[in-house]
Amino acid sequence: MRNKVIIEFNNVSKKFKKGQKLYLKQALLDFFKPNVTEEFWALKNIDFKISKGESVGIIGVNGSGKSTILKLIAGVLTPTRGEVEVIGRIGPLIELGAGFHPELSGRDNIYLNGTILGLSKKELEEKFESIVDFAELSDFIDTPVKHYSSGMYMRLGFSIAIHINPEILLIDEILAVGDLGFQKKCIDKMNSFHSQGKTIIIISHSMDIVSTFCEKAILIDKGKIREVGKPEKVIAAYNKLIT
Amino acid sequence: MIFIMEPLFSYKDLFWQLTFREIKARYKQSVLGYAWAILVPLLNLLVLSIVFSYVFKVPTGNVPYPIFLFVALVPWLFLVNSITSATGSIMANSSLITKVKLPREILPLTAISSKMVDLLLTCIVLMIFMVIYQIKFQPTLALIPLIFIIQLGLITGISFILSATNVFFRDIENILGVFLTIWMYLTPVLYPSELIPSNLRILFFLNPMTPIVDAYRNTIIYGKFPNIGELGYSFIFALSLLVLGWIYFRKRAKYFADVI
Repeated sequence: MRNKVIIEFNNVSKKFKKGQKLYLKQALLDFFKPNVTEEFWALKNIDFKISKGESVGIIGVNGSGKSTILKLIAGVLTPTRGEVEVIGRIGPLIELGAGFHPELSGRDNIYLNGTILGLSKKELEEKFESIVDFAELSDFIDTPVKHYSSGMYMRLGFSIAIHINPEILLIDEILAVGDLGFQKKCIDKMNSFHSQGKTIIIISHSMDIVSTFCEKAILIDKGKIREVGKPEKVIAAYNKLIT
Repeated sequence: MIFIMEPLFSYKDLFWQLTFREIKARYKQSVLGYAWAILVPLLNLLVLSIVFSYVFKVPTGNVPYPIFLFVALVPWLFLVNSITSATGSIMANSSLITKVKLPREILPLTAISSKMVDLLLTCIVLMIFMVIYQIKFQPTLALIPLIFIIQLGLITGISFILSATNVFFRDIENILGVFLTIWMYLTPVLYPSELIPSNLRILFFLNPMTPIVDAYRNTIIYGKFPNIGELGYSFIFALSLLVLGWIYFRKRAKYFADVI
């Protein structure tokens, strides 16, 4: 069971268009001019497999394509070529608080954000107390979130995200923000997810986190996979690349 | 219908959450909040009544102009509000599109559903007006849900097309208002359809909202059956637009996150 493949990228390529006209007025006026949209291939022929329970780090310089891969896993982007297969509920810890409405209370936003992340109303009712406790926001849960500090905001978003009990956790640099207390909570939770056999995928610039936490690492450069394997090997390749 | 409903059924909770979000946020944003939902239509009604029953006298038989107008104005305002809200709905939720996987259709659909509250409030006002103007409540009122479903299908189809296109051409939501106003003038909302000159009738009746507005007036004020042929045309138009609009939306939705 531990070796079951739950994420598979099969010859995936992703193209973006640069210089697209995004206004009708522009498009009509430029109708007679030659087309100046450029194509940009963010990912080219990406192949990899991730098994259940693995913790994988994706590293690479800015603009190498890491976020694109994460968004493809999350189902937010569609591949231009190839197939992405993901089996299991995804917990995207990428930019917390998706869908939060500032006028609504913490309570309302828990239901809103929780439903957006895939929980049913019933599941949310059951987990409500636990979410509020973990975020340490019981005194403020009925205040509109526009009055929350950024720390409170993040604690709430994080608390909801980890309570959705995903099979796959996607983490994109949120560990870089937040105070130390919050960062410690993040890492503790990640550890507990890992020991529960969940799959974790991290994008990080911190080689510390990748080497301590991940069993496997993938190095992306200019849209292609350069190295896959144990973190030490891949980090060494990364270091060679940036010198 | 089933394949449209499918994303809804599995995302039923999300649908209601997003609908309630719109409703609650609007309610909290100002003291007048939902009072505007009644005040704006009433204000519209007042001004239009003054102009079209005193300045330009529009002949409406023995039906007083205000009630004649309001019966058509209520569904028309719903059309304007829901299409306007739906057109901008993807862009208004751009952060959701780029962060979470969810069926994109839910955004224009919840924009439309959240405007149903406004519709309900204006319907209540309409009923009060009917009592004031002593319009009998006819048995043909039972046909209203049917007419409404056709209108809703039309609105949904248009909303799918406009909301998806608005992502790639951001100024659509800005020019939408002009086109909706033109459409209103081309529909017998402010005037009875009998006034349309016979050589232009066919053109006016190509507008799928014309039979719908006529049907509302017939069933509510005159207690008459709607013209089945004309309404049937609207039904087919609405159904085709709904299906085609949805297919178009689905295709474009794959690339929303690319350009937002």
